Amino acid sequence: MPIITFDAVTYRYPEADRPALNGITTMVEPGEVILVRGASGSGKSTLLRCLNGLVPHSTGGHFRGRVVVCGLDTRAHPPRQLGTHVGFVFQHPDAQFVLEDVEAELAFGLENLGLARPLMRKRIEEVIDQVGINPLRRRRIDTLSGGERQRVAIAAALAMHPDALVLDEPTSQLDPQAAEDVLQVVLRLVAELGMTTVIAEHRVERIAPFVDRIWTLEAGALRDQPPRTALAEGGARPPVVDLALRAGWTPIPLGLRDARVHAQRLPGGRANPAPVDGQGPILCRVDGLDHRYQGVPAVQGVSLILRRAQVTALMGRNGSGKTTLLKLIAGLLRPQRGTVTHDAAAAYVPQDADSLLFAPTVGDELVGQSAAVVAPFRTWLHRYPRDLSSGERQQLAIALMGARADLLLLDEPTRGLDPSVKRALSAYLRTRAGAGASILVATHDVEWAARSADRVLLMADGEIYADGPPGAVLSDSLVFATQISKLVGGGWLLAEEVPL
Amino acid sequence: MIRHPLAWCAWATAALAVAFIDRNPYLQALLLLVVINVFLPYRGAPRLGSWKFGLALALVPVLFSAALSRFGQHLLFTLPPIPIIGGRWTLDAVAFGASTGLALLLTVAVFGVLQTTVRSADLVAILPRPLYRAGTTVALALAFAPKTVAAFVSIQEARRLRGQRTGWRSAPDLLLPLLLTTLERALQYGESLDARGFGSGRRSRYRPFGWTIPDVLLLLASLTSIVALVWWPALSYNPYVNLAPNVPGPQSLLTIALLALPAVTGSLARLDHAHHHV
Repeated sequence: MPIITFDAVTYRYPEADRPALNGITTMVEPGEVILVRGASGSGKSTLLRCLNGLVPHSTGGHFRGRVVVCGLDTRAHPPRQLGTHVGFVFQHPDAQFVLEDVEAELAFGLENLGLARPLMRKRIEEVIDQVGINPLRRRRIDTLSGGERQRVAIAAALAMHPDALVLDEPTSQLDPQAAEDVLQVVLRLVAELGMTTVIAEHRVERIAPFVDRIWTLEAGALRDQPPRTALAEGGARPPVVDLALRAGWTPIPLGLRDARVHAQRLPGGRANPAPVDGQGPILCRVDGLDHRYQGVPAVQGVSLILRRAQVTALMGRNGSGKTTLLKLIAGLLRPQRGTVTHDAAAAYVPQDADSLLFAPTVGDELVGQSAAVVAPFRTWLHRYPRDLSSGERQQLAIALMGARADLLLLDEPTRGLDPSVKRALSAYLRTRAGAGASILVATHDVEWAARSADRVLLMADGEIYADGPPGAVLSDSLVFATQISKLVGGGWLLAEEVPL
Repeated sequence: MIRHPLAWCAWATAALAVAFIDRNPYLQALLLLVVINVFLPYRGAPRLGSWKFGLALALVPVLFSAALSRFGQHLLFTLPPIPIIGGRWTLDAVAFGASTGLALLLTVAVFGVLQTTVRSADLVAILPRPLYRAGTTVALALAFAPKTVAAFVSIQEARRLRGQRTGWRSAPDLLLPLLLTTLERALQYGESLDARGFGSGRRSRYRPFGWTIPDVLLLLASLTSIVALVWWPALSYNPYVNLAPNVPGPQSLLTIALLALPAVTGSLARLDHAHHHV
C-alpha cells in the first residue's frame, strides 16, 4: 500500500495566473527514495509542501485533487497533525529553530505531541546517535555552522518518528563539506532505516546512486521516471552521466563506483591545461593585504593581479577569507596593511541578492540604466522583484550592480541555482569578460568554476596558496576536484573534454 | 549553582527595584558591583557587547540632562545664548543624569545576567499551560530581534553598494525592505512551528525544573529584599535638592547584600569544580 498518493493534484497560489502544480498523479511505496528536480520556480517546494499540508493550509490558494499521506487526506488534516507522519527539513537552516539550544530544539516537537518524559528521552538519545550530533547536544543553535544546523533540523524531524522524511534542498545554502556531511546523514538513514525519503536537491551526483525514482517538474507538470531514464533525458544530472552518454556506456552509471569499470577502458592521456593568459591589461593590483577582525586574521599578506577579459574563481572552505578579500578589493573594508589599486569602477554583489532589491517592481529597480542593461528584463518589468525565482533575482542584482563597473566581485553567485541558470550566469560573465571586464567570483561550486573560470585561486587561513588555470589547480586537489577529475584523473575536468 | 528560572526572575525583579526606587548613587554603585560579581561566575564565553551598549546608554541621560536642564545651585559654566544648549550648565543636572544613566546601566547589566543564566526554553517550560502559546511567541520574538538587526545592517550595506543614502533620512526607504524580509521570515517560522505540531494539544515537558536549596535560598533572599525595600523606604535621591547623597543605612546595605547570594554560590561551585580537577 502506498505511503504517499497524489491524485490529480492541481494547485494555484492566491492571485497567481497559472497553476504551480498541474494535474499531478503519482505515488510512493514505503522505503522508496525519490529525488525531485526541476528548474527554479518549477514547483518543487510547492510539491513538497503538499506532503505535510502546508499547501494549502498555510498558503491558501486554489487546491484541486487530493494528497493522501499514511492514509490521511491532507485537505482534512492540518500540518500539525501530519507532523507525526512527515518530517520536514526546510531549505534555510535559520528558518526552522524556535529555541536556543540543540537539546531543547529536539524536544520541542515531542513536547508538542504531549509524549511522556521517558519516551522523549529515549527518542532524543536515539536520534542523537542516528544523526551523529552528540558533541552538539549542549550547544546553542547560534554557535552552530550551517551544516550542523541542518543535521540538527533532520534530527528534530526524525525525533517525531515520521513515516517519511521530506527535505527541501537541504544543502543549497551550504558549502561543499557541510553539504556532504548533511547528505551523508540522509544516505545513512536511507541505508540503515529504510526511511521513505522525498528530497529536492541540486547536488544530483551525490544522491543519484541511491534513488529509486526521479520526479522531474516542468512548469508544474511532473514526470515520474526511473533514475537512468530521467537522467538520460536531460536536466540536472551528474557529470558521469554526461560522460556515459558521450561514450555510450550501458547501463548508464549513476555514480563514481559504477562508472569506474567503464572508465578503465578509456584511452587515457593527460590534459594539457592552457596557461592563464598573462598578457591582458592589468585592471586591479592587490599588494600585501592584511585584515583582522578583533585581532583574528582574516586576510594575510595577499598579493594579486587581476587582468581584463578574465574570469577568476576564488575558492576555499568557509571562513578562509574569501568574502573579506572581495570586500577589501571593493573598498567596503579598509585594509589594515597593504594597498588595493584599480583602474576602473568596482562592483560587489553580496551572497544575499535579495537585500539589493527593494523597489516595488523590476522596472523601478532598473530606472536610470542603459537600454542594453534593461533589455534582458523587458518581460519582467511589471513584476515584484521578490516574486522572481532565486536565479532571476541573482541575474537582476548582478546586472544592476555590474552595469557601470569593469571589475565585478561576486560572492557565491551560484548558491542554490539550478544548472540552466548557472549556465546562463556563465554566459553572461563570459560576455562581460569578452567586453574587457575582470570578474572575481568567490564560489564553492567546483563544477561551475571548472567550466566558467580562466583562473582559479585557492585560499585558506587568509592566504592564497594556489593560483593557476583550472586544469592545473583543480585536477590535483582532493577536495576541490570535479567528478570527472575524480573518475579519470589525467587533468581532465569536464565530461566533454575527456578523449574517447 | 542556581538554575531555576523563577529564582532568577525574582532576583532580577529585586535588583531592578533597588536600582530604580531609591536611586542613591552609593547604593547604585554597590549594586553594580554585586551584579558584576554575579555575572562573573555564570558567564560562558566573554560577551562584552551588552556591557558596551549599557555604558553607551548610561551616557545619554548625562548628556541630555547636562545640556537641557538649567536648574541647580552648583554652576559649572555658562554658555552664550545658543538655541537649546545655551545658558547655565550645572553639576546638579549632571548628577541627575548620572543617576538615571546608572539605573539604565544596571537594567542592561541585570538583563545581561538573566540572558546568561536563563534560556528562553526554560522560561517557556515553567509557564502555566494557558500562557504557553503566548510565551513561545515571546521567545520567538526575542530570538527574532538579532536577526532583524542583522537584516537591517545587510539592507543598509546593500543601499550603500548601490550608491544610495543610508543616513537617518533614508530610514523610511529602509523600513519597507526590512518589513518585507521580516514578514517572509515570520512566515517561514510559522510554517516550521506548524510542521512540528505546535498547538496540537496537551503539551508535556522534557526537563521540568526541580527546586534545589540554592534556588530556594535565592528566591527567599530576593523576596526579602523586595519586602525590605518597601518596609524601610530610604529617602529618594534628588540632586537638585541636595547634591550630596545620604549615607545609606544598614537596612539598605542588607537589601543589596542579599542580592549577592548567586555570586557566593556561583563562586563556591567554581571553587569546588576546580578542587575536583586538581
